[in-house]
Amino acid sequence: MLEVRNLTKIYEDGTLAVDNVSFTVPDGEFLVVIGLSGSGKSTLLRCINRLIDPTEGEIIWNGVDLAKLEGDELRMARRKIGMVFQHFNLVDRSTVLVNILTGRLGYTKTWPSLLHRFSKADRDKAWGTLKRLGIEDQAHKLARELSGGQQQRVGIARALMQDPELMLADEPVASLDPVLAHSILQHLEDLNQEDELTIICSLHYLDLVQRYSTSVIGLKDGKLVYQGSKEDIRNMTDEEFKTIYGEEAVRISDTSLEGSLGEVVEA
Amino acid sequence: MKTKSKVFKEEPNLPSLVPPWLAALLSAIVPGLGQALARAVQRGLVIFFSFVSIVGLLIWRFRLAAPRDEGFFNIFKKALYLEPIFYFITALVILLYIWIIIDAYQIAKRAGGPKRSKPIMVFVFLLLVFFIIGWQIGQIDLYAFFSQVDDALPAISRVLWPWERAITYPEEMWMGLATLETPCDGNPPPPTEPLEDRPYLVVDPTCGIPSTQDEAEDGSVIVVPGTKLQVEGYNFAPNQEVELWWRDPATSQFRHREAGEITRVIPDDDGYFEVDITWPYRLIPDSYLDETVNWELQGRQVTNVGDWEFSEELKLAIEKMIETIFIGMMATFFGIILSVPFSFLAAKNLMRGNPFTLGIYYLVRTVLNIIRSIEPLIWAIIAIIIVGLGPFAGILALVLHSIAALGKLYSEAIESIDPGPIEAVQATGANWFQTVMYGVVPQIIPPFVSFTIYRWDINIRMSTVIGLVGGGGIGYLLTQWIRMLDYSAAGIAVWFIAITVAILDYLSAAIRERFV
Repeated sequence: MLEVRNLTKIYEDGTLAVDNVSFTVPDGEFLVVIGLSGSGKSTLLRCINRLIDPTEGEIIWNGVDLAKLEGDELRMARRKIGMVFQHFNLVDRSTVLVNILTGRLGYTKTWPSLLHRFSKADRDKAWGTLKRLGIEDQAHKLARELSGGQQQRVGIARALMQDPELMLADEPVASLDPVLAHSILQHLEDLNQEDELTIICSLHYLDLVQRYSTSVIGLKDGKLVYQGSKEDIRNMTDEEFKTIYGEEAVRISDTSLEGSLGEVVEA
Repeated sequence: MKTKSKVFKEEPNLPSLVPPWLAALLSAIVPGLGQALARAVQRGLVIFFSFVSIVGLLIWRFRLAAPRDEGFFNIFKKALYLEPIFYFITALVILLYIWIIIDAYQIAKRAGGPKRSKPIMVFVFLLLVFFIIGWQIGQIDLYAFFSQVDDALPAISRVLWPWERAITYPEEMWMGLATLETPCDGNPPPPTEPLEDRPYLVVDPTCGIPSTQDEAEDGSVIVVPGTKLQVEGYNFAPNQEVELWWRDPATSQFRHREAGEITRVIPDDDGYFEVDITWPYRLIPDSYLDETVNWELQGRQVTNVGDWEFSEELKLAIEKMIETIFIGMMATFFGIILSVPFSFLAAKNLMRGNPFTLGIYYLVRTVLNIIRSIEPLIWAIIAIIIVGLGPFAGILALVLHSIAALGKLYSEAIESIDPGPIEAVQATGANWFQTVMYGVVPQIIPPFVSFTIYRWDINIRMSTVIGLVGGGGIGYLLTQWIRMLDYSAAGIAVWFIAITVAILDYLSAAIRERFV
């Protein structure tokens, strides 16, 4: 269980990115964070695995306050938290296999890893993960040679190599077309349902939110403005939507988009 | 900004401060003053400074053209006489002066009226004046270029096609002899015995008297011709030049000359030749004149024996070319090692954390820029003062320049790395070393390799130039040969430089393509 208490992040230039946010994520949840660009979603996610140090607040995960960890303890915690990024953040000029093995760095001693030596078990695990995501053919290609959807699968594979208990996904499908978006989110859904992995994912499109989330929080200007269950989001009113997305927001018709997408995905 | 444009707009609408005739008069005294008072201040300033600098340049050039003359008028007259281009320049300056006066009058007259047109023609005119003064200062002489280029053609063609100099044949000198006696004592030496396989000369007659010098009636020296000799040569190498030499009784040897020309004969296909000569004059110590003495006539032939071989110049050029490549390689090697630490200190994204590191950043950047802005040639001269002539001086100069250039390029590569992958590697729980190895290194290796190969390419090209000032390598050889006017040998060096640079250019492009 992850419990975020009174989390605040103020950047050096004075920007208030996350303002006193508190919420709880039970294990096995698929929590979706919604909000406009700049509403603090990315900062919130990065505070959880401490890529960004929060200014104030507590992040209690399995009884440990992540916000107070330093050094080796922090790395030990981090390796149990996988992360997937909007721009995939693969090392373009390394092969897919090396990118995926990067996920094992937290478990590998420094010297062997600097020489690119990974254990047999790690390599087997890498191949297994590649197979699971259907990209084993691409293993020896350079990451930059892959298409966007394939790159994001490599990103997920890298996170899976960490044997994560929690997966953070920062707008994982915002750089992809709608068809690929569904296929990537279905992978995440599989992990959530089959591996009982807790997932915190930020998304933009309401129809995707309605389709995949088990619970939802909404951020606006760094503040928590919405908190709802799967049923709540299904029945979300335009008014509620506008409090999060602002007056200009137009609700994308979920029926039309999902209907057409569904056909394509099935085909 | 706002006020400036406001002033500019209103300017034409204000009336002139002075009447037109006064503006013209003022501009005649101080060029541009009339325009300025007619509220065309910018125009007045441009005119003033242009005119003052043109006149200043002219005075300088006139004085330089006639350095030994005193007084304004004398200098002026002499300079015009020596360099007729000054007539043209002077005329243009006078035209300009007159135009400035007219312009002041018109500007003052039109001030307050509609907007003036931009004086484009004047700027063209000013440019023309500066251009012509530049022509004179640059001592540009197209006539010299085109009239003298013919004379340079033989030298240039030797540079362009020097390969005759690249091979030599081992040479051997053949000599055929005949003995003559003077004066005739009634028992002349017998004709030369025929020889098998070796050349020999047969002279008829075998005795006689050499040419002598006498004083003519008017006191001038005249030569009294000696005995006419018919010379036959046998067994010489066919179709290769033979020179006739003498060995006088005092055993000194000299070339035979007939009417001042060196005698050269070419034997026929059988190695035979025939030539008529006159026994030459030679100043001989008196002690040899009392008795009968022997002269020796020699037919000398230099022949190529055996196969061709590479010439010394070619071997030297190859050796020095290799030296040059290694100078460039060593310079690049040290340049890389030393520039990597500097490049991290000169990368803004790593150094902007706090004021102290930012200070180091600016310091390193400044030092690198200063080093880079000084040509390697000058660094080589400084290095030669310290370590003396030779390759090491060249290496030092190139290392310095490489550090500066690579430091800048590397630091820019570091500055442009994508923070995304680093963030992702950190998120997996990797420690600092692992993050650098997996997140940073793969990103900077390709540009580093690319820049390094590029630099190696530059260093080898530079090391040929560094040699010109004594920094070792082929450049050193090239200057020596040019100074010795040995253009064929210099041509070999130039060819090697060109070939090496072309190959490296191709190689470095091919290697860089793989990494970028």
